[in-house]
Amino acid sequence: MDADIRSGWAGAGGATGSPADPVIQLSGVTKQYEDDGPPALRAVSLDIAPGEAVAVMGPSGSGKSTLLNLIAGLDRPTSGTVTVAGQRIDRLSETGLARFRRQRIGMIFQFFNLLDDLTVADNVLLPAQLAGLSRRQARARVAELLATLRIEQHRDAYPARLSGGERQRVAIARALVNRPALLLADEPTGALDTATGEEIGELLRELNSAGHTLVLVTHNPDLAGHYASRTVHIADGLIFRNDNQPGAGQPATPAGVRR
Amino acid sequence: MRAGPVGRAVRGGVARRRVQTIVIALVLLISTGASVLALALVVDSSAPFDHSFAAQRGAHLAVVVNPARATRADVAATTRLRQVTATAGPFAALSIAAQLAGQAGPNGSLPPMTLAGRPAPGGRVDDVALQSGHWADQPGQLVLGVNSASDVQIGLPLGAKITVLSAPDHPVLTVVGEATSVTNSADGWVTPGEITRLHTPGTPGSEQMLYRFRDAGTAAAVRADATSVRAALPSGAVTAVQSYLTVREQETSQIGPFVPFLVAFGVIGLVMSVLIVANVVSGAVVSGYRRIGILKSIGFTPGQVVAAYTAQVMVPALVGVLGGLVAGDLLAMMLLRQAANAYDVGQLSVPVWVDVAVPAVMLALVAIAALLPAMGASRLSAVQAIAAGRAPRAGRGYAAHRLFGRLGLPRPVTIGLAAPFARPARTAITLVAVLLGAAAVTFAIGLGSSLNRVVGGLSHAAAEPVQIYRTSQNSFIFTAAQQRTVQAALAAQPGTRRYVAETDDPITVAGLTGEHPLTAFRGPAAWTGYPMIKGHWYTGPGQAVVSTGFLTLTGKSVGGTATIVLGGTPIPLRIVGEDFDARSRGVSVITDWQTLADAHLGPALTEPGQYDIGLRPGVSAASYAQSIGARLGSSYSTSLNTRNSVVVSLMLGLIGTLTVLLALVAGLGVLNTVVLNTRDRVHDLGVFKTIGMTPRQIVAMVICWVAGTGLVAGLIALPAGIALQHLVLPVMASSANLGLPASYLSVYRGPELVALALAGVVIAIVGALLPAGWAARIRTASALRAE
Repeated sequence: MDADIRSGWAGAGGATGSPADPVIQLSGVTKQYEDDGPPALRAVSLDIAPGEAVAVMGPSGSGKSTLLNLIAGLDRPTSGTVTVAGQRIDRLSETGLARFRRQRIGMIFQFFNLLDDLTVADNVLLPAQLAGLSRRQARARVAELLATLRIEQHRDAYPARLSGGERQRVAIARALVNRPALLLADEPTGALDTATGEEIGELLRELNSAGHTLVLVTHNPDLAGHYASRTVHIADGLIFRNDNQPGAGQPATPAGVRR
Repeated sequence: MRAGPVGRAVRGGVARRRVQTIVIALVLLISTGASVLALALVVDSSAPFDHSFAAQRGAHLAVVVNPARATRADVAATTRLRQVTATAGPFAALSIAAQLAGQAGPNGSLPPMTLAGRPAPGGRVDDVALQSGHWADQPGQLVLGVNSASDVQIGLPLGAKITVLSAPDHPVLTVVGEATSVTNSADGWVTPGEITRLHTPGTPGSEQMLYRFRDAGTAAAVRADATSVRAALPSGAVTAVQSYLTVREQETSQIGPFVPFLVAFGVIGLVMSVLIVANVVSGAVVSGYRRIGILKSIGFTPGQVVAAYTAQVMVPALVGVLGGLVAGDLLAMMLLRQAANAYDVGQLSVPVWVDVAVPAVMLALVAIAALLPAMGASRLSAVQAIAAGRAPRAGRGYAAHRLFGRLGLPRPVTIGLAAPFARPARTAITLVAVLLGAAAVTFAIGLGSSLNRVVGGLSHAAAEPVQIYRTSQNSFIFTAAQQRTVQAALAAQPGTRRYVAETDDPITVAGLTGEHPLTAFRGPAAWTGYPMIKGHWYTGPGQAVVSTGFLTLTGKSVGGTATIVLGGTPIPLRIVGEDFDARSRGVSVITDWQTLADAHLGPALTEPGQYDIGLRPGVSAASYAQSIGARLGSSYSTSLNTRNSVVVSLMLGLIGTLTVLLALVAGLGVLNTVVLNTRDRVHDLGVFKTIGMTPRQIVAMVICWVAGTGLVAGLIALPAGIALQHLVLPVMASSANLGLPASYLSVYRGPELVALALAGVVIAIVGALLPAGWAARIRTASALRAE
């Protein structure tokens, strides 16, 4: 990816603490949705270092999206602790979580989750406005991102008019507008064709190279292999494999084992 | 028995959409209750005396018979007259003079009372309504007639004791109950034996017979009935006859001016209830389009879909209607009891047909409001129904978002304000609901203020709160000596600001039938509180101020002349002013006492029958009345001019109750809309929370979904409510032969207008608060998974 795109990522927010401290730390996290049902996650422990690109893979219903939601503070664990960027987010109030997400986390979804009645520019602008950025600063940031992602020509268009790939670029721009340290992507290429998916994958790799910690949920081993430095395999709520890339060859480890 | 597919779909829909189910039930409960109350009020108020008269089987004629001249057999024969349909009696009757037990002197004196000896309150004629306590069943017990038309405030509580001064040994009676007779057949009731005990030996006795006739609808018919009864009895046996029409006339003239306003408000309340119910129910079905599409895709036929969705709405509607019927009846019973007291009729009740018609109409309305959109959805294909039930069509609301986004307001606010434009139909329905609620509030406030002024203008209570009369049974005219006595007492009484002697005579007017009241004041009287509509108060003899009905019916106008006839003497008058006066169906004349003196009329027609007294500021009317009464002694009685405050308090209470109910229903309509919007946009809410919108910002955004609509609705409702008040009041007043002074219409003041303009936004915000809180608490992860 060219230099101007790399420079467009300049200023990615860093995690607190020393470089050795994990930026994401889950300790014994269990998530149970129903009292008499099986847990979606069972005493999972996982550390992710700053700047890592980690893919979380597993079949449908394995708990990978639940894991991502807990890291993003979109849901709360039934037990265990979730620490992100040095903060125990499982203890934060809803207001605290909202503010935390604004500042620290950019989320990218499979189906984009753009707001259909706002233009592309307004969609990207919204998190900046919620974060209290001045109008001028926010608009400048939006213009920069749209240019970097090569969608500035669509700034006044509505999401319904864009292709899947263009929408995902808009979603990425929105995720980056507040310069978060963490990017969490839930099946970011799942709704895209192969070629577009590769483009988006490249984008994510660039973002990781620029310093963003990336957690990527996918069921696509190619995506995990190409764009993540480590793959965590999850099934039935348990982490049963934790591979480094390239050349994943470590034996299967019991669930919840830290790296 | 297992539920079929439709039943299961209904059960699932009702259980799953709990909020909507509860809202529908509540809206129907409140609307039905309000409609029962409003309709009962309209019906009973349109002819309260007639309703009460029918309910209590009032006596067309009350005949007082001298038992010395007519035997029991003679009296019994009258019950078999062809035109007689029912009778009650004979009841021994007696007039007594009494005072409060233990309070000798003027402070304890009571007005003369007519007692009847009745073993029980009920009967085929004159079914007396017991209001409190119990009927007299032992010697020494008295059931007092509640008669708010009485000019003398008795106000004896249960347990009070009175000493009967006119009876041998001055026996004491204890008040054990209060009751009303629709024709005021007696001032009180005792056991039949008590009459014998109270009767002074050697004085003539009397018996009361009460009759209902086949034909008694007109004065001529009642006169004919009285003639037939008199003819059936020995000569001289009948000592007095009272027609129910006389009582009806008195009661109607008292409450007539107020009834049209209440009727207007009741009708508006009914219309609003109906519109809001239609709004909520149709919205509930439309919001289920997606589910309808899913049902169709799995095999439901169009007919099954219609049945399922109509039933899904009818279940909570039925619960609500039944609950509303019970609540409405209870509320109506309570308020109608007060209305009956204020209207001075025996008893008012919810007509049976109201209890049948209102639920039937409400359920029919719900069925139609549900059927129409359900049938529309059933005709769509499954795909179309699912698509129609999703988030609003792309393209709607874009311009609004751009426009509001340019405002310098917080982003959650601007997003919320722009949201209604994406769903114009639903927004319009919400706007109408809030508009009706806010218009009702505006109209009610204006109506209440106007009514306050109307009652003030009719009763003159503010200007002349105390009046003085003679207590003689022979004449009510003040002799010259008595006038000097009263004037001296008034001059000496602290608190007296001013007073005037008032003469009241019946006159006839050329071109009008019947008699009408003439009031002549001896002294300056412009302060007595007759509101002027046109012209000015009279400034000398030969001038008159007349009421609107007088001008309307005679075709005269201010500046013209009219001739009245008093005591057979024609008196020409120049009309210098038109005033607001409801006496005699709006036909009355006021002039200077000198006008009568110049016509050389005798003292019976010119001398005063009462004194009207204005008090210094801060003086208690009740204390003043007691004090002046003590000063003057038992030859005079004082009266507090407060009766109509009871009526207006009742009116305001009724109007306030209905307004609160209607505003509540409008608020529920808003709540329903916000719940539907929340459901539609749950996914968007998840996105907002994901990108960092705090719960408080979510609440602000959701409230703004309807706040803008509420503000617009309120701004439209304000002039609409005012226009309604300006339109309805004069029309209603003219139906009672009344004109209205301009000040009775222009009742809205600046700060009030501002507050009323915000009524719509207040209703909208209150209706949105609860679902806004729910929206803020939505689990983000679940919301993102919603389609």
